[in-house]
Amino acid sequence: MENVDGDESQPGREETGNLQNLLCGKKILVVDDNRVNRIVAAGALKKYGAHVECADSGKAAIAKLEPPHTFDACFMDIQMPEMDGFEATCNIRKLEEIAKESGKIWHVPILAMTADVIQATYDECVWCKMDGYVSQPIEEEQLYKAVSQVLSRT
Amino acid sequence: MEVLRLQQQLIELTNSLFQEGFLDDQFTQLQMLQDANNPDFIQEVVTLFAEDSERILAELTKTLETEPIDFKRIDAYVHQFKGSSSSIGAQRVKAVCVDFRAYAETENREGCCQALQQIKQEFFLIKSKLEALLQLEQQILAAGGSLPVME
Repeated sequence: MENVDGDESQPGREETGNLQNLLCGKKILVVDDNRVNRIVAAGALKKYGAHVECADSGKAAIAKLEPPHTFDACFMDIQMPEMDGFEATCNIRKLEEIAKESGKIWHVPILAMTADVIQATYDECVWCKMDGYVSQPIEEEQLYKAVSQVLSRT
Repeated sequence: MEVLRLQQQLIELTNSLFQEGFLDDQFTQLQMLQDANNPDFIQEVVTLFAEDSERILAELTKTLETEPIDFKRIDAYVHQFKGSSSSIGAQRVKAVCVDFRAYAETENREGCCQALQQIKQEFFLIKSKLEALLQLEQQILAAGGSLPVME
């Protein structure tokens, strides 16, 4: 998304408050191989009171999200070397299936993070059982839309 | 008086960075993330950005000098650079990254070499501007002043 225009970005006060309600105290995993992106995404989520942990690869994310764990949600970069975000998510869903056999239902909301909207079409996210996506860098209004769909139920 | 003068300088520098297109709104967003809980946030982001960019520039230079040129590898590095420049709001660097990736995709060697020179120039420019900005902020704080709130 190259045409981020700077004018409409004054965040709505309402959204800020709602994001605070949704994210405060939540434990969130941010997965990105790029450490600048990682620290910026983590900073954006911490602003609303989330407890943020980071992982720098798909593999590291799988290790952290294998049930049982205490994460409320995960923001996953799509384009990473070795294992991309789609593949990592598919693996996490498989582990959740296995955990289900022992009686407990696990489904950590995973939101894709991507610089190009085209790259992460809705279909692809659905296919990998991702729960939504936000563009990177994270923008408040979009973050609210994505997060309110997956965290309002908790 | 000293503080006032420094504050004025900081405002002018910041405004010029936006007006000349070095920075976009994302940098303003980062400034909003810096607070009492996270007082050195911008400094941290700028340091990481500079370190990673210099590493990427060295890799790109090496890759473009190695025959046959591995354009996929170039694309992967530029993708990294585009991501981090976008996260910090360095929009001129980001813009060159977009062209650079297009040249890498079409395996345009000449275009890639030109883009590399251009990206080096843009990177060192924004790096020195950001360092100047952070230094001014430090000076203001050291002189007992507070940072002006930018609109």
